[in-house]
Amino acid sequence: MRRRDFLKITLSSLVASQLPARVFAQTQGPTVAVAEGMDYAAITRKVIGAMGGMKTFVKPGNTVVVKPNMGWDRKPEYAANTHPVVVKTIVEEVLAAGARRVKVFDNTCNDPRRCYENSGIQAILKGMKNVDVRIVENDRFKKTAINGRFLKEWSLYDDALAADVFINVPIAKHHGLTGLTMGLKNMMGIMGDNRGYIHRSIEDALCDISGAVKSHLVIVDATRILTAHGPQGGNLKDVKVLNKVIASREIVAIDAYTTTLFGMKPEDVSTTVTAYKRGMGEMNLNKIKIVKV
Amino acid sequence: MRITSARISQLFFLALFLFLFVITDYRGKDEITVAVNSFFRANPLVLASYVFAVKGFTLLLLPALLMTAFTLVLGRFFCGWICPLGTLIDLVTGWIPKTAPIRFLRGSFKYYLLLTLLVMAVFSVNVSGIFDPIAILIRALTFFFYPLLGHSTRAGWSGLYGVAGEGRDHVAFIYDFLRDYILPFRETFYPLAFLSLAIFLFVFVLERFEKRNWCRNLCPLGTLLGLFGRFSLFRRIPGRICKDCGECRQHCATAFDEEVLQAEGCIRCMQCRAKCRLERVGFPFKGKKGFLPATRSQEQPVMSKRILLGSVVAGFFLSKTFPFRNPERDHRLLRPPGVANEGDFLRKCVRCGECMKVCLRSALYPDLTRAGITGMFMPVVIPRLGYCEYNCTLCGQVCPTGAIPRLPVEEKKKQVIGTAAIDKNICLPYAKKLNCIVCEEHCPIPDKAIRFETVNDIDYQGKIVTLKRPYIVDDLCNGCGICENKCPLEGRSAVEVFAGKKI
Repeated sequence: MRRRDFLKITLSSLVASQLPARVFAQTQGPTVAVAEGMDYAAITRKVIGAMGGMKTFVKPGNTVVVKPNMGWDRKPEYAANTHPVVVKTIVEEVLAAGARRVKVFDNTCNDPRRCYENSGIQAILKGMKNVDVRIVENDRFKKTAINGRFLKEWSLYDDALAADVFINVPIAKHHGLTGLTMGLKNMMGIMGDNRGYIHRSIEDALCDISGAVKSHLVIVDATRILTAHGPQGGNLKDVKVLNKVIASREIVAIDAYTTTLFGMKPEDVSTTVTAYKRGMGEMNLNKIKIVKV
Repeated sequence: MRITSARISQLFFLALFLFLFVITDYRGKDEITVAVNSFFRANPLVLASYVFAVKGFTLLLLPALLMTAFTLVLGRFFCGWICPLGTLIDLVTGWIPKTAPIRFLRGSFKYYLLLTLLVMAVFSVNVSGIFDPIAILIRALTFFFYPLLGHSTRAGWSGLYGVAGEGRDHVAFIYDFLRDYILPFRETFYPLAFLSLAIFLFVFVLERFEKRNWCRNLCPLGTLLGLFGRFSLFRRIPGRICKDCGECRQHCATAFDEEVLQAEGCIRCMQCRAKCRLERVGFPFKGKKGFLPATRSQEQPVMSKRILLGSVVAGFFLSKTFPFRNPERDHRLLRPPGVANEGDFLRKCVRCGECMKVCLRSALYPDLTRAGITGMFMPVVIPRLGYCEYNCTLCGQVCPTGAIPRLPVEEKKKQVIGTAAIDKNICLPYAKKLNCIVCEEHCPIPDKAIRFETVNDIDYQGKIVTLKRPYIVDDLCNGCGICENKCPLEGRSAVEVFAGKKI
């Protein structure tokens, strides 16, 4: 790297990390759209509409990754995986916007065959044209320079790295270590290798990953949320039905807002706080524009 | 070679066997309707050793009872019409030049072997599965050939990318088909792969000496079927080598060691009938007129007192002296879910390897010495390599004898494989004052068998830290081993599953 390049990158990253959250928050805060209703497809479409429609994100011919959380061998009602209807609606919208190919995957915690099957996501997308629902293959993880605070390099999934548009579709759940798991935490699903390693500094690690692979759009499934014994639950008593779907361009803002659905404050989730402190986004609710549609 | 019905039947059953072998896997359904266990459930050797060991019967083995009945009527047809190992031997034996038969094997060795195995079973040490021909075949396939097929196909596919680049996509459909329907899902290496292969190859090395050497001189299943087959209602005529021809000696693989047909050796392959130039050979019903009674010598009992007595003594001593178990290994003797009693498992397990073939997370591996030498090839859970999937019941479904009980999923979740224990000397929050609790996150028990306490501490840099320290709730832990499997420490896990007290 030439000195000039080095200076440019250093300066611009310094500026980028310090400025946007503070500056833009003053002028125009991030927008979080929330829709509520029994028809999950309809509310998903509503929040996408509130973000300006899928066409503002997806250009004709794009390859798009839709990354749900389907890490666990649990049926949809247990609120451990993203609701299949929400995923399907997003995929439909992406296709309608002219995407060439849509890839849906997750690096699962339980056996991937059972997760893909029992999450209901594989079945609901079956037969859709130009949609890949493939189990991740080990040789497609690529060692990627991350140069973050905790992670210097890590194996990330090729499909995520190569995508034109990355749509992050987590479900909102309780999580022992981070308090809650939402947008930032869902990015673990593109990581390979011994992912458990990052738990020792999970907040910085997750921020590093979101810095390396940007979520262009985050859509949080809060049709039902898991309030305890997360992230995999297994007891319907821990599930609360909210019938909500939330969308935003800003991963920190949407995590901050989603936290309130659990009766918690954004400060209670360590990942959100770290991301905010690192200037990755806004977590003050009064600076976030919440649009109910 | 003329195509006889027996040959067609052999190839059909070999294909069926391989098909069942491949589909004995998770295919998106919680239930497996048919599996390769059919070959064991219809296996009279499995039946005999089960009945002797358990002193009871299970409906799972009803087909074996039918097979016994058929054998009583038709003779030892299984070996010549069905046995996939026999078929493989027939397919390759033509290429193996023969020296002379081994005299030692020509004697009564096979009866000693069979009876010793059955006597050991009576004394609750059921090791006949080690010598069962179908089990030998499945173990070699599961532990050696199938993983090899997976590794080499995947490596070849990757290598093709280096050669053909994107051009590889033109034949991607072939690979996709193989991956989706034929290849093993996971790349797994098995301990005892070498031993399983060696035993399998031994059967073929024996072909150096004479045709179907294993089948006629060793195979305990064949020997048992031969004993039943003596009562067959159909007899081959003529009952001895014709003086004016004698070609049957060449055609017959198993029954013409002497001038006189060995009734318990005849596997009903009917090559002699197909090839008899004089069209003398037939297999008429016993009661029918024209049946030529066999000579006296054929009727003499094969079970001499000496064999019986020798086997009882050998079986008694073997069953009483071999079950040495290293107590230090007992605590890692983790049996598949639902196996509550080690003694009972030893009486029932066929060592067929199906549970290990089907295991979703490759948690089950063949054991060599954890349970003593008599536990060879029996399945153990090795959590660091693979854990027991909470919602999966496949091993119990494919077990041919119910050694691993077939349980509804809610019941199976409650079965205790062992109990996890944390090693605070290496567990991060204790030893390094770093947060982790990956184990807690993965624990599948809805109320969490791994929980944590939150404590404030000062780390080794002098900073105040809030630590989440995991602990195990013994009453809830079922020992599935996902915690041990997912523990992010390199090498040894900081949380390990130990066997509970089992009788």
